Amino acid sequence: MIILFVVLPLIVAGLLPLAGKVSRRVLPDLLANATLLFLLVYAAVAGRALIAGGPVLKQSFWLGEAVGIRLALDGLSLLMLVVVALVGLAASLFSIDYMEHYGAKGNYYALYLVMMAGMNGLVLATDLFSLYVFLEVAAVASYALVAYGLGHDELEAAFKYLMLSVVASAFLVAGIAVIFGLTGALDFAAVASGLRELNAGPVLGIAAALFLLGFGLKAALVPFHAWLPDAHPSAPAPISAVLSGLLIKVSGVYALTRVFLNVFGLTPALSTVLLWLGAVSMVVAALLALGQKDMKRMLAYSSISQVGYIVLGIGIGTPLGIAGGLFHLFNHALAKGLLFLTSGSVQQATGTRDLDEMGGLAKRMPVTAATHLIGALSISGVPPLNGFWSKLIIIVALVQAGHPVFAVVAVLASVLTLWYYLLIQRKAFFGKLNEKWAAVKEAPFWMTAATVLLALLCLGIGILFASTVTTWVQPAADVLADGIHAVAGSWGF
Amino acid sequence: MILQTALLIGLVLFSVLAIALRDLLKSAISLAVASLLLGIVFFRMGAPYAGVFEISVVAGLITVLFILTIALTKSGEEVRESKLANVVFPVVFVAFLVIDALVMKELVGKVPALASGAEAPTFGEALWKGRTLDLIGQIAVILAGVFAVLALFRKRDKHE
Amino acid sequence: MSNTWYLYLFFAAALVGAGLLGLLGKRNLIKLFIAIEVIGKGISLLLLSTGLAKASLLTAQALVVTYIVIEVSLVATALALIINIYRHKRSLDVRGLANLKG
Repeated sequence: MIILFVVLPLIVAGLLPLAGKVSRRVLPDLLANATLLFLLVYAAVAGRALIAGGPVLKQSFWLGEAVGIRLALDGLSLLMLVVVALVGLAASLFSIDYMEHYGAKGNYYALYLVMMAGMNGLVLATDLFSLYVFLEVAAVASYALVAYGLGHDELEAAFKYLMLSVVASAFLVAGIAVIFGLTGALDFAAVASGLRELNAGPVLGIAAALFLLGFGLKAALVPFHAWLPDAHPSAPAPISAVLSGLLIKVSGVYALTRVFLNVFGLTPALSTVLLWLGAVSMVVAALLALGQKDMKRMLAYSSISQVGYIVLGIGIGTPLGIAGGLFHLFNHALAKGLLFLTSGSVQQATGTRDLDEMGGLAKRMPVTAATHLIGALSISGVPPLNGFWSKLIIIVALVQAGHPVFAVVAVLASVLTLWYYLLIQRKAFFGKLNEKWAAVKEAPFWMTAATVLLALLCLGIGILFASTVTTWVQPAADVLADGIHAVAGSWGF
Repeated sequence: MILQTALLIGLVLFSVLAIALRDLLKSAISLAVASLLLGIVFFRMGAPYAGVFEISVVAGLITVLFILTIALTKSGEEVRESKLANVVFPVVFVAFLVIDALVMKELVGKVPALASGAEAPTFGEALWKGRTLDLIGQIAVILAGVFAVLALFRKRDKHE
Repeated sequence: MSNTWYLYLFFAAALVGAGLLGLLGKRNLIKLFIAIEVIGKGISLLLLSTGLAKASLLTAQALVVTYIVIEVSLVATALALIINIYRHKRSLDVRGLANLKG
């Protein structure tokens, strides 16, 4: 019943305002987190069994007649569902304590669950327009969630984010219209086979450019990244975690790769474009991150940089490169989610995000400091954490595919990344304890629990990387590496 | 076809007016007229359902929302638009139209197309049976919008 | 693709172009959003005329109807944001939103 991934969060979201009236705290918290926990268990446990024999194609029926709900669960969508559920659950647990002083928690969780439903729907869709519809569902929820604190900066950031995002959506629909005009169809299988039959050359290039503009903006690839460093820091910490950890990957990277690899087919030209976009994002954002004083802003630029890594890996086009890119997507979601959550703990304890004002917090918030360190090391690619392995795979794939320069650039960017993360660690957590923070306490239970959960995962996946890759990443990479064949033949409903 | 082209020209005209006019209320009404014209264009294309939706929702509901917002934000000082933009905008737009026309002329006949598959016999079936997942998406996006508005207009406690 | 498609495409592109130019040049927040609405018109015209050219008007109408519903939600959210911004700053000037550097 994979439609549950979309429908269950929506139903619970619809019930939440009522639940909020009955009990202001416990019931909304309980309902929302239970839903996400259920989805995580369902995806992680039942999911693998489901796809063991090939992609699961779900055609829904109503009163005996086939109805237009066609969802597909293959290795790639399963990987995305798992990562969405994992980080979604962690940020949601974090919200139990963090969102206390924002008010209207039932409303918050309702928006949160709608965003989750949107992301799940996007990942399970088999049709270009449905993919767009659920992308917008998640986006509209996210605009309100970024502005949730109703402070001046949050509203400004949300507005700018909305403006840019809507323009991107317009480009996407234009691209969809062009594809519809070319092939007369919207579902992936028909479009894939139609495009192959057609050999549409330049017009296909226009459609590809429109999709690149649209999805590139959603993924915050340089030069479409300007909205992210404002939007992610201003949002409440758990929302920053979901936006950086999930949304840019689901509505940006996943959509981009699904369309370009499985529907269009990865041509050498596309591959080069992706390689360059990825490399530029990787380097430029890392350099920009160095100059930041605001902790969350630095993390935001880092997200842009790491998405560059992911696109770089997938752009190589070889099975190893794709596997590396997807593995990094998974790892970064966990690690960046973790880092934004710990930054939220710090912000709640000290009331500031300015690194220069912090100092020595490790003495008063040891758990937060430790989990933050794990997240930072993971993203910087320090062994034996998970980020090391995914970056290594990407670099090896680059060398193998004959792109030694890109490989060197990737290594250098990694060093840069390590540098600025150690900067954060030193300025915020180590060093002398600033007297202002002498009375600061460790973060409340659920906030700490959420960060510990993600940190343990980073460690665990780092140690058990081989089995994680074979069980979760490889099936997803195979789907993409198959290109059009993964969709054209087996997805015909 | 001549009437259709005239309607389309009117559509573009009123849309440009909606962007260019200084008075916000006149802008909103201009936008409503543009939506009305677009709705009629849809009707004449043979798309009555889209036409009805465009007129009742975009020309109706969205215009009301705009007018509501304009009314709620009236007492602030008027935003002075950049004079440079007022001069540059029409010039660039006309240039854009010229390029647009040239590109379209070039493209004629150059866009390959496959015949599309058979369609459902009625609009109802096309929507309810053909695009059912989109309907779930519509419910979801409406929920998102409702909760967004509720969240953004919620009462704030004094100590926040 | 029939010749009328290119005619409709011309007008759809004109609408999108006008909207984009408006986004670049205007300062009033509500005006900026009106520009976005104009872009939305261009896109729905594009969708429907493509459906006409492919003899798939019914499917295209279903797409446009969904698109318009999404647009309504977007307008509601955006206008709610604008009203809140106005409450803070008493002004609708986009230049007032320069706190964050991007």
